[in-house]
Amino acid sequence: MRAFLRFFTSVKVAITLLIILICASILGTLIPQDRSSQEYLVRYGQIGGLLQRLQFTRLYRSVWFVSLLALFGLNIIVCTIERLPPKLRRALRPRFEAEPKNLLSLKIKDRLKSTLPLAGARDAAKKELARHHYRPRVDEAGARIFVVARKRVFGLFGSDVVHLGLLVILTGGIISGLGGLRSSLTLVENQTLPVPQAGFSIRLDKFSTELYPDGNVKDWKSDLTVIEDGKPLYQKPIEVNHPLSYRGFVFYQSGYGWDWQNPSLEIRIKKKSDAAYLQKLRLFVGKAASLEGESLEVTATRFFPDFILDENNQPATRSLEPNNPAAFIEGKQGEETVFSGWVFAKFPEFTSMHSAKETDLVIELKEVEAPQYSVIQVAKDPGVTLIWIGCTLLMAGLFLAFYWPTREIRLVLETIQGKTEITAGGISAKSREAFEAEFNGIMNSLRKTK
Amino acid sequence: MNESTLFAATFVLYILAAFFYLAFLYSKREKPAATGFRVALLGLLLHTLALILRTVESGHAPFTNMYESLSFLAWATVFAYLFIEWKHRVHRVGAYLLLIVIGLMALASSPLMPKDATPLIPALQSYWLWLHVSVTLVGEAFFAVAFITSIMYLRAETREKGGRAAKSGLTAERLDSISYRAVAVGFPLFTLGGLVFGMVWAYKAWGTYWSWDPKEVWSLITWFVFALYLHTRIVMGWRGRRSAAIAIIGFLAALFTYFGVNYLLAGLHSYA
Repeated sequence: MRAFLRFFTSVKVAITLLIILICASILGTLIPQDRSSQEYLVRYGQIGGLLQRLQFTRLYRSVWFVSLLALFGLNIIVCTIERLPPKLRRALRPRFEAEPKNLLSLKIKDRLKSTLPLAGARDAAKKELARHHYRPRVDEAGARIFVVARKRVFGLFGSDVVHLGLLVILTGGIISGLGGLRSSLTLVENQTLPVPQAGFSIRLDKFSTELYPDGNVKDWKSDLTVIEDGKPLYQKPIEVNHPLSYRGFVFYQSGYGWDWQNPSLEIRIKKKSDAAYLQKLRLFVGKAASLEGESLEVTATRFFPDFILDENNQPATRSLEPNNPAAFIEGKQGEETVFSGWVFAKFPEFTSMHSAKETDLVIELKEVEAPQYSVIQVAKDPGVTLIWIGCTLLMAGLFLAFYWPTREIRLVLETIQGKTEITAGGISAKSREAFEAEFNGIMNSLRKTK
Repeated sequence: MNESTLFAATFVLYILAAFFYLAFLYSKREKPAATGFRVALLGLLLHTLALILRTVESGHAPFTNMYESLSFLAWATVFAYLFIEWKHRVHRVGAYLLLIVIGLMALASSPLMPKDATPLIPALQSYWLWLHVSVTLVGEAFFAVAFITSIMYLRAETREKGGRAAKSGLTAERLDSISYRAVAVGFPLFTLGGLVFGMVWAYKAWGTYWSWDPKEVWSLITWFVFALYLHTRIVMGWRGRRSAAIAIIGFLAALFTYFGVNYLLAGLHSYA
């Protein structure tokens, strides 16, 4: 057990884990994640099945990757705890240096003679150190006085605060993973839907798309109302980057679209022979409408918002955006089809009508409307508070570790041949140059103190 | 003066500064290096002006497409260099680092990069765009400095092993220490901008602070590599060649996060 613990607390394990995590993460970005079995089979052939069994296709949620992260967390815990006691001892019980010789073996050191008596030199040194924000402690033994002065002691714990932050983040991640809820609600205006597992509902009052002058989308906005027990409680417009929060549930504007199953089409009917003739008809897909004055029934049998001919030369839609709306229109007189064909809203000249008999009519697709819906992401993430706490600790720890280095100055004051002599040494793990300058400044002003 | 003129003038100044630094490398006199520093500083000022002008003209942060973000990265790299130069006097680094800057500027001005300022798509309309991108790129610029000083370390070390003296006081040991200093600045900035601000913004915009999107994973990988650099150095006492190698790999990972992910891996970060 002890041997195992010693092995597990070694930095080598941490480094090995880091390297494995790096390699695994890279692998996860090379294999597309969370696709269908078929896609993997097409892409990788025989290996596709193996990749799925090894969970390489949902790598970051795989048992082995999560175990690696857990092991990493465990390693951080034991490494930090193992290194904490000596640091605490160092922080709480500063060590005096009894032997001037030892001080002179340090990299930052000085030795000077003072005209002051021993006690006076001690007080001068204390004052000078305090002036530079050091906290001096003094011990006396016989003819020698020992001083240890330190500042920024908390900097010792920078790396521990970083590690604590990482652990808090990992814990937050686990809580998010286990207790988090995510779903998406698709709402048309004035529709109310219950939020899953929330005990309240949400209503979409209004959905709007703002455009830039050049036609690009500037923003999507959904006016939402929180409804509980049938009563509206809270209202807020949400837009991208500005979600609504209510009782731990957060609502995000995530998408929008049109319900192309139920479009409303406006067609115009003209006559080649009569320029003044114009009839408007509103059509719903599959429902016949009769044309006044002509004994004609007009039906839109199919509709595509973004018409395209697919690889089999069949009509299809490329997207759900109304980029190229097209409807298949049939005109019937009784049981007899007079004309039929595709009409295009944006390309009236492409209209190609098959006519059974000679017809004078020209059909144009003028306007296309469909109920617009807004897609709202609902998320409940109980781990997120821990994440922000962890991030704050992480940054605070990094600051301490890099920019709040502990500095320590040890002095031995003694009387040699009736004269006071001060031997000093400085210890700092980081930014030695800056510390050396400060150290020399303190020593020089001690030299001048009379 | 419009933005593209300023950009072009900046480009010329950076080339000029690199020229002076190269002259310093070969002439061994101090003067060209001092001139190079001043020219680069002037370039940085003009570049700053260009970025401000771009912001005013477009009405949004100057890093929303590849041209803008390359230009900003070049700015950040010059800034990082001048900062390190001012703190540690490392003239010799100038020539090499400015070559990277010139590369970035050339890439930004290449016809492959659309330069038109387009209106912001909804997902990018957030002040987190400023915080997330600028802090991350400045952090990466310091990684670029560490990259150059690490390569220079490897060369200097070989030279010193061969018994030849260090050039102009920049010993291998100092290069090693300066690499560490650059990482010590870059790592906290990268953590703050890339990871922390990124998570906050992702939470605000997408409803989840982490979604294992390739760009997120690659910034985590970059972070892991520099964590490796720091631990091997501080706890295990690695110095020199091995440290330099990790710093070089770290910068390449950062570069891939910045560039490669956009072009090679699809994901949520499809805008820039």
